[in-house]
Amino acid sequence: MGGALRVWFRSKHTLFWTFAFPILLMLLFGAIFSVSDDPRFDLYVQNQDIIGGESSPFSATFVDMLNGSGVLNIKMVDPAENTAEYIDDDGVEMMLLIPDGFHQSCITQNATVVLKTVPPEVDTSAATVRGVVEQIVEVFNTVTTGENPPQVVTVQQESLVSENYRFIDFFVPGLIGMTLMTTGIFGAIGWNTRNRELGILKKLATTPLSKFEWIIGVVLFELVMCAVSTVVILTVGILVFDLRVLPNIYSIILIAAGAITFPGIGMVIARFVKETDSADAAANAVSFPMMFLSGSFFPLEMMPDFLREIAKVLPLTYLNNGLRDSMVYGNASSALYNTAILLVVGTVFIIIGSLITNWRED
Amino acid sequence: MSKEAVIQVDSLVKKYGDLAAVNGVSFTVNRGEVFSFVGPNGAGKTTTVEILVCLRDLTSGNAKVLGFDVSDRKGQQQIRKRVGVLPQDFNTFDLLTVKENLSYYKKMYDGGMDIDELIRLVDLEDKAKTLYKNLSGGLKKRLAIAIALVNDPEVIFLDEPTTGLDPKARRDVWDLIEGLQEQEKTIFLTTHYMDEAEVLSDRVVIISYGKIIADGTPSELILQHGGKTTLIIEEGGTEAHDILRKKFPDSKLENGDVLVPLNGKSDLPEAVMTLNGNKTKFAELIVRRPSLEDVFLNLTGKKIVDGELS
Repeated sequence: MGGALRVWFRSKHTLFWTFAFPILLMLLFGAIFSVSDDPRFDLYVQNQDIIGGESSPFSATFVDMLNGSGVLNIKMVDPAENTAEYIDDDGVEMMLLIPDGFHQSCITQNATVVLKTVPPEVDTSAATVRGVVEQIVEVFNTVTTGENPPQVVTVQQESLVSENYRFIDFFVPGLIGMTLMTTGIFGAIGWNTRNRELGILKKLATTPLSKFEWIIGVVLFELVMCAVSTVVILTVGILVFDLRVLPNIYSIILIAAGAITFPGIGMVIARFVKETDSADAAANAVSFPMMFLSGSFFPLEMMPDFLREIAKVLPLTYLNNGLRDSMVYGNASSALYNTAILLVVGTVFIIIGSLITNWRED
Repeated sequence: MSKEAVIQVDSLVKKYGDLAAVNGVSFTVNRGEVFSFVGPNGAGKTTTVEILVCLRDLTSGNAKVLGFDVSDRKGQQQIRKRVGVLPQDFNTFDLLTVKENLSYYKKMYDGGMDIDELIRLVDLEDKAKTLYKNLSGGLKKRLAIAIALVNDPEVIFLDEPTTGLDPKARRDVWDLIEGLQEQEKTIFLTTHYMDEAEVLSDRVVIISYGKIIADGTPSELILQHGGKTTLIIEEGGTEAHDILRKKFPDSKLENGDVLVPLNGKSDLPEAVMTLNGNKTKFAELIVRRPSLEDVFLNLTGKKIVDGELS
């Protein structure tokens, strides 16, 4: 009994799964879902109804009412911006457009506002925002005319996604991102520690092979593994769930960038963990928070601000954002932007890895 | 054989904190020699080897392998190309076959030996397609030595190649090393088995607590430090002891056996004739020559059992 307890206590692996993992999960999910304390939803509003350099009276009133709802976090967009480009570039998920001539149409009682959101199946907050906007419009109609039922303004719902996508289509890019991350990190760390224990790393240190060549070899191997798992995920997705999103050339480049970034990170971690046990614990400790905080399973928008700040420094966030933007929205510029970020991060880690990797003994 | 020095070590020191694992050792290994570094665990054998193959940095002193300085980065690259190393406790990829394992390591070098020829050399033709994990301990070690040969090295370092093997497997490894010796390869061997060093080596260095305590050919060392050849009269008892004590005052009685140290050539026939003349009863007569084990015992007052001093 005492012996078992000691073995158990000294094994970093079990320590991780017994204590660190549940606590980590509790903290993560607690923080992610604690957003309900402050149930504000980000809504971008572009008011194009400008009269004499100022917002028209009716449109200004409408925006005030949106602001006053207490539920929406209104972010004003410059009227001069191209709406479609702005949505693409800033990864906007919900945008309300007040068109030019809104004030005039209110008078003639045939005004419309356009609410562009991601499908509610993808992000449930879209449904909430739709409801809130409908209610505000109703109040606005009542206030401006006193008539019941008022017909001043109607809301025109538009989906940000051209085709009819379902949850699975939004889930798969995140799943690919998560898989690239776990394959890369676990693969690189595991390969290193196993070979260190077998004495293979020591043996290699006596050959002319350089550490940089070794790391590149491991990274390329993991790249192949990542390609295989991506193909498997997509095949099952298509066969079983009739998956409609498919990677275009930009997402393929992005996947390749992700597939070299995470093994690079793994090689750096592997420098500091020598035994299999601690290697597992380290890989878990890095990959689990990243998995949940980088928008693999739920949108970043539903997380509180401080978690979103954390997400900004996690490389998986960029892979997930880029993959969704390119696979679902066909947004090439986002894919390339995120590819560039991942390539920089990956290169930095690979260089650090080849500098600090230590095969030699002290 | 030409006396070309391939390894030159001068006042080598390796310290870990205050502890000197290697404390000022100097020696030279000549081309074509089987050179053994013998001593108990922790004597500094592996540390010395790892400095010579550029796995560890030295604290002070000088070491050159094939004329290249082990402390010089460019020298290290040259050494790595030209030496073959079997590290202590080395295991290779479980799920690769003998041939695949050899090919893997061969890729680390330019050129080197033909893999099939190498497999023949270490007598693993029947096992070429066997996974490493399915090989016996002795065969695993043979493959590991073959891996140390893939680059057709000028110097081969074998760090405790027989530790943990059963007697049969040890003999197999000895045969393999003797085969390499015939090819005039320079072999740097570390071991804590005295018999192994005695059988295989052209030259032996005995190291203890980081210092060299003896250096020479096995026969030189035995002659200098091994003590005398001993005649053992098994189960001779007090009767034989009493008779022999008159002529051989050094005789000892141990567990019923009589031990007679022999000083000159005439001692052996004289002792036998004395026994015969008295019709003394005994079980068997054995002449035991001193070995490296006696050398170590005489130099340190201790024996090595399973690698540890006792």
